[in-house]
Amino acid sequence: MSRKLGTLVLVMGILVGAMGLKTGLSANTKGTVLMANNPAPVPPPIKPKPGQRSVNPSWQN
Amino acid sequence: MPGSVALFLWCVGTLLEVCFVVCSLARKAFFRYFFLNLYFILSVLTSAARFLTLNAYGSSSDQYAHVYYYTDALLTVALFIALISLYSLVFGELGFSKQIRFAAVLLLLGTAAFSYGVVWQSEERLATSFAYELSQNLYFVGLVLTYILWGAVLKLREARTRLVQFILSLGLYFSAYAASYALVNLADKFSAVQYLSQLLACLLPLSWSVTMLRHTEDSRIATAPLVAVQR
Repeated sequence: MSRKLGTLVLVMGILVGAMGLKTGLSANTKGTVLMANNPAPVPPPIKPKPGQRSVNPSWQN
Repeated sequence: MPGSVALFLWCVGTLLEVCFVVCSLARKAFFRYFFLNLYFILSVLTSAARFLTLNAYGSSSDQYAHVYYYTDALLTVALFIALISLYSLVFGELGFSKQIRFAAVLLLLGTAAFSYGVVWQSEERLATSFAYELSQNLYFVGLVLTYILWGAVLKLREARTRLVQFILSLGLYFSAYAASYALVNLADKFSAVQYLSQLLACLLPLSWSVTMLRHTEDSRIATAPLVAVQR
């Protein structure tokens, strides 16, 4: 197996593992937001406008 | 405006970030760990931008939320690049630099594509949703990457103290983030939980600054005793 193919397989494995971990941890999400990049206070979730479909957990109600 | 505890934690975190950059300059390691320094410089600039927006529009405004999520995505990409720079330092001597760059670009593109796939139905706030999703997903990719890097450090018997402690701190930071992500979902009714993310953001610059201050580039550590189990 070439090095490039090996890298590709490794990248796919990492992506699947990371997204699986995230899905597992947020299985019972209640629309909470947690960011830890910078010590600024986290803003409250943005409310979707009337009639708008929300797809993001941060502003799901 | 946020409460006094939140403001205090914000000030402490920003000071610690400045402290790391100053320590790097004082120890003449700024360019060796350039991307770690770049991450903290960007974080300090982000703090300034967020504070100005917070002051002008308030913490519950849409403007603050948009600035927060966009800058967070930018910072997460910077942290990802900092992590890849640690990979380059560990694997650089083995001649894997090209593969690391290729894998990093693939991972970033893959995570961006996955994030877009999750939010593409969002019409009005596509950019903000994408920034939020990308940031969260990159955190978890970073977590997995850090554990792989720690495994490589043990396997290769990497002995540079600074490098080992930077990686360990990053591993703890990502793990604490993942644990608190679950904790916030389970116990968001407790007010202390809202300060978790701010506390976590202070830990990384603190541990990296201590490492930079306490150890020189020539310091060496044996990694085997760090994982040895006493019988």
